[in-house]
Amino acid sequence: MKNDSIVFHGNLQQLLANVETGEMIPKLQASHAPMCKFFTAYYVISGIRHVVPLVHGPTGCPLYMSDFVRTRECCEIRGVPLEPTACTALDESHVIYGGEGKLLEAVKEAYAKYHPDLIVILSCCCSGIIGDDVESIAREAEKLVGCRVLALRSEGFGGDFRSGYEDAFRLILDLMEPPKKTMKGTINILGARWGPTPTEFNWDMDEIERLLGNVGIKINAIIAGGCTVEQITRAREVELNASWCYDWGQKLGDLMQERYGIPYSRTGQPYGPEATKEWILGVATPLGMEKKALAVIGREMRDVEPDLAYLKKALSGKTAIIEISEFPGPIRALSLARMAEEFGAHPVVINVHPYTIKERMPSIKFLVETGVNPEIILTKGLFKLGSFRSSKETEDELEEIVRTYDDAIFFGNAGRFPPCPVVNLTLMNPVFQPQYGFRGITNIAALVRQALENKDLPRSRLFKGMLYGTRTK
Amino acid sequence: MPDTCTDPYLRCAFNGAAQTALGVAGSALLAHSPQGCEYLVNNAFASQECDYMETMTLCTKLCVDEIVHGGEDLLARTIREAKDLPISALFVISACGPEIVGDDIVGVCEDMQPEVKFRLVPVPCAGFRGSQYDGIDIALDEIVKRCTKNTKEKIPDSVCLIAPHANANPTWIADLDWVQRILSQMGVRVVATLTHRTPLAEIENAASAETSLVVSHDAGQKAADYLSATWGTEQVCTGIPLPIGMTNTQRWLTTLGERFDAQKAAESMVAEGERMVMATCRRKWPMARFLYRTPAAIVADATVGIPLVRFVCEDMEMTPELVALYTSQRTVRTLLERELKELGLTPKVVYGTDVYTTRKSLAEVRPRVVFGSTIERHASEGLGVSYIVEVVKMMRQFRMINREYFGYTGILNLFECVQNEWTMGWRSKERSYKAKW
Repeated sequence: MKNDSIVFHGNLQQLLANVETGEMIPKLQASHAPMCKFFTAYYVISGIRHVVPLVHGPTGCPLYMSDFVRTRECCEIRGVPLEPTACTALDESHVIYGGEGKLLEAVKEAYAKYHPDLIVILSCCCSGIIGDDVESIAREAEKLVGCRVLALRSEGFGGDFRSGYEDAFRLILDLMEPPKKTMKGTINILGARWGPTPTEFNWDMDEIERLLGNVGIKINAIIAGGCTVEQITRAREVELNASWCYDWGQKLGDLMQERYGIPYSRTGQPYGPEATKEWILGVATPLGMEKKALAVIGREMRDVEPDLAYLKKALSGKTAIIEISEFPGPIRALSLARMAEEFGAHPVVINVHPYTIKERMPSIKFLVETGVNPEIILTKGLFKLGSFRSSKETEDELEEIVRTYDDAIFFGNAGRFPPCPVVNLTLMNPVFQPQYGFRGITNIAALVRQALENKDLPRSRLFKGMLYGTRTK
Repeated sequence: MPDTCTDPYLRCAFNGAAQTALGVAGSALLAHSPQGCEYLVNNAFASQECDYMETMTLCTKLCVDEIVHGGEDLLARTIREAKDLPISALFVISACGPEIVGDDIVGVCEDMQPEVKFRLVPVPCAGFRGSQYDGIDIALDEIVKRCTKNTKEKIPDSVCLIAPHANANPTWIADLDWVQRILSQMGVRVVATLTHRTPLAEIENAASAETSLVVSHDAGQKAADYLSATWGTEQVCTGIPLPIGMTNTQRWLTTLGERFDAQKAAESMVAEGERMVMATCRRKWPMARFLYRTPAAIVADATVGIPLVRFVCEDMEMTPELVALYTSQRTVRTLLERELKELGLTPKVVYGTDVYTTRKSLAEVRPRVVFGSTIERHASEGLGVSYIVEVVKMMRQFRMINREYFGYTGILNLFECVQNEWTMGWRSKERSYKAKW
């Protein structure tokens, strides 16, 4: 393919190598700012019931969490009661004289006000730089209140977004008590955050729970997807750990395996029939429940037979252009690439940002090891100043690339306008959720059907103008 | 209980500074901060309704290296990266980290100025300097001092509008539009708005305004004081609540009319506005009238909350029994206390409230109606509150069209909020059965 806008064309393994050597990391400082360590640490901690995340910093850091995670996501969507987002509200005098004294008082006050099961002190840039010893304060404070008090160094400058949730999961490990028994046929699901799934729509986690339930596998805790402190303390009594997203669960799974010898089922996301089978068997086989799992898989496969047949017929011989964007994210997009290949399409993943490769290196390596190695194209627009997500440049480049294929189908979201059928896989349209598992196959088949049957309908001039302006290239 | 652990309503000073800078048209904002603070900028971006095709936000994405060794070089490099942007100004706002380690953003901007075509405006505004309203004041101070040109000539019947964005109405831009509209009808020229879609040239001319008008009770007073002290700019409409509700609007319009010798225009606006509101209500029948003397709570910023006291008490005939405001400045206290005295009300008053204090106050007062936000909807769970009228951000209902609370249409917009909540309150939730078909 000859195209001036292409800056990388190879496979995932080659891109990975380029990122590891630093060759593909963009040099523009001003471009692409993902979440900081504090955010992702908070995401994880907020997924524990009756926890007070006590932010040791000014009021700006917790407020995004308070509005977005607590009120909108948890209360409004997930049916969770209003839980506190407490803060020590550091000001200039604390920056000069230190905030440890205030923090100790704040822990006592938080316990008196909210009667939580757990208090987690989260440090921010301020408290980190002035050197407040949050761990010592946590130890001291724990003697004065009636619940566990833990400290998490989550300064925004202290690491990328991955380090925030990894450190938070590592902290959760400290809550786990030595097992008193083994819970037969029971697992933990690792890698969740925020809280339970939304109340009004079925989500990927619901599909996983349904399938596990059909096999007869019980879940002790979804860590940290609305689990209790008590469930965490018993987490070592399970027979196995698993994750619905390798990227998020991997760190805690590995740690629990290393420290406590609890096996961790290493599988990718259950997109499509093969990955779903692998996922279920990856959990059921170590538990000695393979036979029952195979029976469930057989029954589920029969139920989705028409959808599988449709997907094979619809995708066979096509080029599946898959774009990594906000929704779906990079790991999902790579899982989709595998699924597209399974149905006879040739996957081409476009514009997976080297930043996201760098941040998710262990997960991407795992996927490559399991044979996920699609063709990758990166374009110039990806490396321009500012955010790449909705840039006119990347849209123009995508349209140009799609034109070079005879029988392309686009997997991404409807914010793109390529000259081919568009499969709208955004997670922001809950109508076609879940995408995981067997119900996911039915939903994805419906989305592909919509894309192909309606490919000649006019696209929205309004939305395109909104996203990319009305000027021509 | 001591106040060491708070669950705040207000964001930090960095966010307020970003809101202010992003109100300058044809500019860009560079956050000298770790990447997480960029999300505070994104929030400010949305609040000012910026267009990402016109306004770019950048970030130095500071990491451990810059915290240990300083981030000035990185800041200079990032400014160079932005040098080809077609903008009139680049606001450089520093967050907590670089301020604590002592990065001199003012010095870097001075050094880099010759290399770029646009004006570099440093705004040191770490989050720990205070609330978002403090940040608005800090940024206004920097912007006015750095950008406003010295002039002795005043434009007759002109005004500089200050801090329209310090307002918890989620669509506050409609409030600003209303103010600009009525000023235009009175023949008053708006020289500059500090800030919303304000070209840099307007800010440069701000000193030529004859008067200033602060359109917030939460921020902006310091900028008005500075304009007054430095350029002799007279502040108008001081010491009275903003124009929410019949009486507040009448008083505000009358005061403006008197100052700008436009009494007739003001009288006509009041007469026509009141006639329109009454005629509309006669046709639409606001259900608020059924809530006569129902105990109510107001939980908001001072900009919306203080004028709402009279509106709730007088126009809607409910009884405010709790007033909890996010801020606690002396001017806020004085104004609210004067209003309560005039109205003969003695509600529980909380200044600088946080979510915990609000819940405790609601539990103590037990109002049946709360004017507040989605937070109060959840915070009043189990306290017997029948109606949560969401009027300040964050709000469950999305608005594609901006709606003002100021002025006469503002009254109808607030009635609409009450009406919808009243209707939703009647919706059957539990006693149902399945239809046969």
